[in-house]
Amino acid sequence: MINRPIPSPGTSNPALDPITGFLNRNAGLQAAARAVIEANSGGSMLAALWLDMDRFRQINDSFGHAGGDSVIVRVAGRLRAAIEAPCELLRMGSDEFVVLLPRFDRVGAERIARRLLVDIEMPMPIDDILIRPSASIGIALCQVDDDPLSLLERADRAMIEAKRQGGNRLVISGEEPVAGRFGVQLAREELAIENALHAALESGGLELEFQPVIRPDGSVEAVEALMRCNALGLQIAPEKFIPVAEKTGLIVRLGEWSLLRGAHCAASLREQGCATKVSINVSRAQLTSPSFMQALHGALICANVAPELIELELTESLFMDLSATVQANLRGAAEAGVGLAIDDFGTGYSCLANLKDLPATKLKFDRAFTGVLPADQRAFAIVRAMTLLARDLGMVVVAEGVENPEQLAACEAAGVDATQGFFNACPMSEAALLQWMKSREQK
Amino acid sequence: MTSLPPNDRPSVDAVLERTLKENDIPPRPLIIDRISAAMRQDEPNLKHVGQLISADVSLAAGLIKTANSPYFGLQNRARSVHEALMMLGLDVTSRAVAAISLRRAFPDSGHYERFWDASARIAALSGWLAQRVQKPKLRPDDAYTFGLFRDCGIVIMLRRFPAYRQTLARANQSADYPFTGIEQQDFPTDHTMLGCLLAQNWWLPEEICLAIRHHHDQLAIDLFESGLPLASRYLVAVSQTAEHILQHLTGASQTMEWEKLGASCRRLLNLDEADLAELYAEAAILLGTIDPRNRSCFLGHSTQRRREIALRRGKARKQLHPTGEGGRRLSLAEHSLRPSIFPPCLCVELLFLG
Repeated sequence: MINRPIPSPGTSNPALDPITGFLNRNAGLQAAARAVIEANSGGSMLAALWLDMDRFRQINDSFGHAGGDSVIVRVAGRLRAAIEAPCELLRMGSDEFVVLLPRFDRVGAERIARRLLVDIEMPMPIDDILIRPSASIGIALCQVDDDPLSLLERADRAMIEAKRQGGNRLVISGEEPVAGRFGVQLAREELAIENALHAALESGGLELEFQPVIRPDGSVEAVEALMRCNALGLQIAPEKFIPVAEKTGLIVRLGEWSLLRGAHCAASLREQGCATKVSINVSRAQLTSPSFMQALHGALICANVAPELIELELTESLFMDLSATVQANLRGAAEAGVGLAIDDFGTGYSCLANLKDLPATKLKFDRAFTGVLPADQRAFAIVRAMTLLARDLGMVVVAEGVENPEQLAACEAAGVDATQGFFNACPMSEAALLQWMKSREQK
Repeated sequence: MTSLPPNDRPSVDAVLERTLKENDIPPRPLIIDRISAAMRQDEPNLKHVGQLISADVSLAAGLIKTANSPYFGLQNRARSVHEALMMLGLDVTSRAVAAISLRRAFPDSGHYERFWDASARIAALSGWLAQRVQKPKLRPDDAYTFGLFRDCGIVIMLRRFPAYRQTLARANQSADYPFTGIEQQDFPTDHTMLGCLLAQNWWLPEEICLAIRHHHDQLAIDLFESGLPLASRYLVAVSQTAEHILQHLTGASQTMEWEKLGASCRRLLNLDEADLAELYAEAAILLGTIDPRNRSCFLGHSTQRRREIALRRGKARKQLHPTGEGGRRLSLAEHSLRPSIFPPCLCVELLFLG
């Protein structure tokens, strides 16, 4: 059956769909049954691709059913042209196709599916208008003692997941995102990270490292606390675990944990005679919670530390939507005497109105500015002008990402109050920080 | 649920300033860091963990007693730290170490002796009750740990703010206003938040941390949609019921929490009046055993004693349900004849903690 010539449109075979020449639904199901039996008896592989056009209803609505049919005909042609290997082509519904690929493993099926996605996406003229069709593909692989219906069902479900993710993509059955602990849909890798975060919170796998912010005279202006996660034998970078924590809501617990941990560090620095402000990152999710102020005061009270020794770092993305709760929390923190630093300033949602309205005490330039200094005169001009502005607003200005002496000199020439970066000092543990500060005192 | 705090609060700064030089609560006992570091190894070295614990004599004794306590339902008795570790596993061991370390972590614990004693009794009763009510995901050892940590925020507040004593008294006496709401009138935070932060910092499981955070929050216990995990809601219900039983029996340290949360707790644990009466009777005997006069007799002839308890409880039930309707769960009384319910080690532990 596999080597049977691919039928062409126009034949009057009742098993074939008259528009595409593919097997129609009934004949397709029989073909699938045969293919599965063959795979099971011969111990060979079989992959099923379930393909569904994205936004096909729109095409039908805009161009009528004749237009829709002509798209289907041409997509069918592209499918046929794209697959060189022996296969069965099925039309399961108006815009749904199945490709049965005997002797194809996961890698091969994925390769074919990617090729299909590319080919289908080529522009297609209809009534003098160029459209770019796209499709979602679900892939299922035949398992031992599989039955054809469950194989197709798995492929269909994977396709639905591909649609849910926005379409024009493929999803392999069994690798769809699954619901995490809080019912949030996560990819497998994200799920592993979520599990690691939970484990870290229950087994001591979280730690803060501290990176000093240094004034031109060498004194320490503050230290920024950076979270590290190490659990289930995995060392996970913040770029990876922070997004997952935000997605799952775990960020609130992580944030509260780092508030207290940072406050404890501020207390221990003070006790060692090196009182320094500790800058702690807070996320949007924390600030949208009505109990944020209780958590902040709770951390201060628990660690027995004065609010002046704590600073909250707010990422700029916070400002894309300043709800009343967020504003109230920020005001509350400022009234309590806690410093507010705007982090990564100048690249995302920078808005001068925010500078005017927020009770922020510090502005931290994004590393994108520092990185191009001193060569980029325009960047230098912006840093210098914004520094003047921020100072008039009563804010301390910090340049982040300083990595060499030239950048440091340029930042100081632009008038920033302090700098942070590898050139000054790397992030370090609390014990190392204490040692570092003591050794500087002696110099 | 809470009103806005008035402006005439004590200044946080002033108080913090005053207490700066005081010998303070450590961020986290060193032993917890050491054990969790050892646990994070690819192949945790039990021997090493055992050595860490053995280096501290009272911690070692506490762990052995914990392993032999009834919440774990273990057949064998541990005689050494190593055996206790093998029986409990690293996970439970680390929680047990946290529980044992809690009271010692607070300097001048003596000032709050009665508070800690009450906590220890509530914790022990909670562990026992968790075993009695048998709910999915409700672990007796978690109920015990939660009972100990539940109110540790109160001690922190008392240490920081002398005026908190008056607030506490008002919160204890209020029959209609939420406990934490009254705290928040006077202070910028409350003891549930402090306790939760501390528990998180001590790496306790999420269910326990959340239960601490919400243990006065009626809506969170009542509403399925509150998002509070069922395990946390059970923990809260069990500990509030345990506290109520303790107060019912001793008449000491009266609070109004049962008036506010009792109905929710009973609903969650599915306890009717007769069940409660049964629990009072069982708990009375349990608590009676830590009275020095009764100690030896309980330890001595337990089977005879248990039979008496069962009979007495059966009587209580019959009085409440003369029509026989109460016979529905009479098996509970018989159930308690099984030796696992009142092993002598529970009373030893109560003594140890109390």
